[in-house]
Amino acid sequence: MSPVLLAEAVLFTLVVAALLAERPASLAATGLAGAATAAALGFLPGLRAALTRAFAAHRVPALIGGAVGALLLPFFLRGSPYWTFVATMALMYVTIGQGLNLQIGTAGVVNLAGAAFAGLGGYTVGLLTTAAGWPSWLALLVGPWAALALGALLFVPILKTRGHYLALVTIAFVFIFNTLMNNLEFTGGPQGIKNIPTLRILGHAFTTPPAIFGVRLPAHANFYFLALLMAGLATWIARRLHDSWLGLALNTLRDDEIAARCCGISVTRGKLVAFSVGNFLIGLGGSFYAVMVGFVSPPDFDFGYSLVMLSVIIIGGVDSVAGVVLGACLLVPLPERFRFLHEYRLLLYGVVIVLTLLYRPQGLWPVAVRRYR
Amino acid sequence: MPPIELLLQQAMNGLMLGVMYALVAVGFTLFFGVLDVIHFSHGDIFMLGAFAGLTALAGLGAIGIGAPAVALALAFAGSILVVGLLGVVAERVCVKPLARSSPLMTLLATLSLGLVIREAVLIFYPRGADPKPFPQLLPAGGFEAGGVAIRYENLAILAIAIVAMVSVDLLINRTRMGAAIRAVAQDPEAAQMMGVNLNGTVDLTFFIGSGLAAIAGILSGLYYSEIHFIMGVSGGVIGFSAAAIGGLGNVYGAILGGLLFGMVQTLSAALIPRGSEFRDVVAFAVVMLFLVVRPSGILGEKSAERV
Amino acid sequence: MTPTPGEPPVRLVTQGLTVRFGGLEALGGVDVTVAAGETVGVIGPNGSGKTTLFNAISGLYQPAAGEIRLEGRPLAGLEPHLIARLGVARTFQASRLCLGLSVFDNVLIGMHARRRTGLVDAVLRRHRLRGEVRACLAEAARLLALFSSGLVDRGFDRVAQLPQIDRRRVEICRALALQPRLLLLDEPSAGMNPEETAELMKDLQVVREAAPDLSLVIIEHDMFVIEGVSQRVVAFNYGRKIAEGTFREVSAHPGVREAYLGKEGGRG
Repeated sequence: MSPVLLAEAVLFTLVVAALLAERPASLAATGLAGAATAAALGFLPGLRAALTRAFAAHRVPALIGGAVGALLLPFFLRGSPYWTFVATMALMYVTIGQGLNLQIGTAGVVNLAGAAFAGLGGYTVGLLTTAAGWPSWLALLVGPWAALALGALLFVPILKTRGHYLALVTIAFVFIFNTLMNNLEFTGGPQGIKNIPTLRILGHAFTTPPAIFGVRLPAHANFYFLALLMAGLATWIARRLHDSWLGLALNTLRDDEIAARCCGISVTRGKLVAFSVGNFLIGLGGSFYAVMVGFVSPPDFDFGYSLVMLSVIIIGGVDSVAGVVLGACLLVPLPERFRFLHEYRLLLYGVVIVLTLLYRPQGLWPVAVRRYR
Repeated sequence: MPPIELLLQQAMNGLMLGVMYALVAVGFTLFFGVLDVIHFSHGDIFMLGAFAGLTALAGLGAIGIGAPAVALALAFAGSILVVGLLGVVAERVCVKPLARSSPLMTLLATLSLGLVIREAVLIFYPRGADPKPFPQLLPAGGFEAGGVAIRYENLAILAIAIVAMVSVDLLINRTRMGAAIRAVAQDPEAAQMMGVNLNGTVDLTFFIGSGLAAIAGILSGLYYSEIHFIMGVSGGVIGFSAAAIGGLGNVYGAILGGLLFGMVQTLSAALIPRGSEFRDVVAFAVVMLFLVVRPSGILGEKSAERV
Repeated sequence: MTPTPGEPPVRLVTQGLTVRFGGLEALGGVDVTVAAGETVGVIGPNGSGKTTLFNAISGLYQPAAGEIRLEGRPLAGLEPHLIARLGVARTFQASRLCLGLSVFDNVLIGMHARRRTGLVDAVLRRHRLRGEVRACLAEAARLLALFSSGLVDRGFDRVAQLPQIDRRRVEICRALALQPRLLLLDEPSAGMNPEETAELMKDLQVVREAAPDLSLVIIEHDMFVIEGVSQRVVAFNYGRKIAEGTFREVSAHPGVREAYLGKEGGRG
């Protein structure tokens, strides 16, 4: 067990240092340590194998260690509200990514309208809170259902078209969504919906900096913990669905629809379930965004963001639940860390996807064979 | 119901847009024909054509070649050449290597390549985020016929587009190179056994398709008098939709699809209240409906899956 | 067609089965009967309608005319997944396995239709799912072991890592996992060399012994396999049945010789 916890502690330290190091000395030290670790893992297959074995043998302690690390992160980042915010965004992308991965990776249903479904969640929250006066927590719970329900508009194309045709239909959908949000009055037009009230749970307003065990954390930490819960649930559900009859059926219909049908699989049911569950999770991410940022507008949910979501699942590895977590945790903070990269953020994402597809199409954390433990 | 003159005017506009869309759509359909792939970054190639044309014109102006016909001709030539070659590079780097693996990979790769092209222009072109004015180089003025205002500009655009389409048609149907393209589109292995250079033919196809997109890009600049780095996103989606409506792999279908799309856009702008804002919505909704009802297109797609 | 006492019951009947693609008639008025526990071989030149017959039976093609009945139950017009659940399993000419999934997963998918746990169990009552899957894994191992214990040991390997003969076996196990009444095998020896074909014939014998009541219909181009395993042979040409009988009767039939060798060919 100790190698597992030791490895996680090392990783945690590296991550925190990488995020916070400012002075040249600490930057250099972190860079070297990080490079050394990557080199060790990359060039010492014995080390990799030993670690893999250790983690596989002690899965529960590893997960607990990871959870503890995630819970402690805001304490280490408490000097930087900015990084707490970035970490929260990464968790939001984990949630959205699990939904999109279920659709594209597991079921092979090409959905390039991810941004639209996130937008459906976000705008639903905006409308329910500002126009109908609902409390934010309730709107947050309802938003994902709106995304799921409106996804029914695409049920027929999902079932009747495939591959590039389906891609085109979903792109058309996201364009239509964007144009409608931009031009309808009740959605606020190009300005969007502003002043979405913040979450208030049991009297605690999420804009108030929390104090936990006597330590004062930035206000964003409220959202961090909620996002951690959300991402954790999404990952947990995605994992369980993947390693079940549903995941197996979806993989089969993705790889060969005809064989799937002749094995008794209802392709219709499979695709619709994957699409709907996926849209729910994507809509959940969008709803969360609305509540956290406090306003939604059309440019927040345009086609470009569909591609960002896509890059998260590709770099992690299509159909890989763990890969989604890795992908989001890499792609979201990286351009923030390297400030000079910020302008090149989307360019970076595009290049990353192309390179991954050309040279490591299975992703950084490829999907593993099901063991049904 | 708006007056007939307005409808005819909009039909004329639809024709203009339609021929530009058709030029982009032909590229999509040619690429699908030879490689069985959808080259999603083709729309951004269209945008590059416009920017290359603008840069050429600026350069020509700087060295004193201002005469419209000459400058325009040189700009077209330069853009076609440069963008055609870039199209081949894109194909070599990103499309062909993945063409044999799952279609999903090519789709995602070319989508991302488009993003890269877009962002590169945004970042590296001086003040890339702003729309850029495009010089007015076509003859001004016009005449009236039956209550419809016909501008010489539009006639010129129409003429250039038609010349381009006819040239490509002749190229594909009357030359050896074109025969090679048609052969590869039908059956790459058989074509190779007949002595056709597969790689060279694919390169040529991408050069032609990208060149057409470059022409469309400059025409778009001349029509709207401005270009913008994001014009390729909608241009690409529309071009792909048009090619799909016409039947992927069918060049005449792509032209038909382009014209149809242009018409639907402009006529819905005229006939639907607040139509000009929602014309894209209508057009895309029509596309979605079409793909669901008749995915193989009006003139039919090539080949289907074998059980 | 009522069975006379002492004869095995009828498993599959097609009557006047016709399949058209636009103007082309791929199957024209085909009458075929398969008894329970029988192995029927199907031969014919390329394009004679053999795979079309299979596709019509499994529901991938809708017949233009005629009937298909499985133990009296009409199949024509049903969706393929329903026909599979009624007990029709098949393999394909180009094996349609999920190459990236494990051997076990590929066999397990055949048991999907018989599952009793659902989505809620998958997420919230994991122990139930685990129990059911463990039982199915044991069943999958049992099926694979019919052919080779090596396959069971490689159960968690990806199918892509297996040689052709093993992939064929996995595909057959997936079909058997459906607990079918009728198994359609489409050119199982495609792409195999003589050694592998001999192995295949032993595999077919194993299937026959493991499931004596199962009806097998095999499309083959390799006459060696047909002769070795079939009790009865049906020959097709241009979408029609042209001969039926034992292997010797059918191979001597002039129409069959003409179909394969052409009008001028074939002497004695």
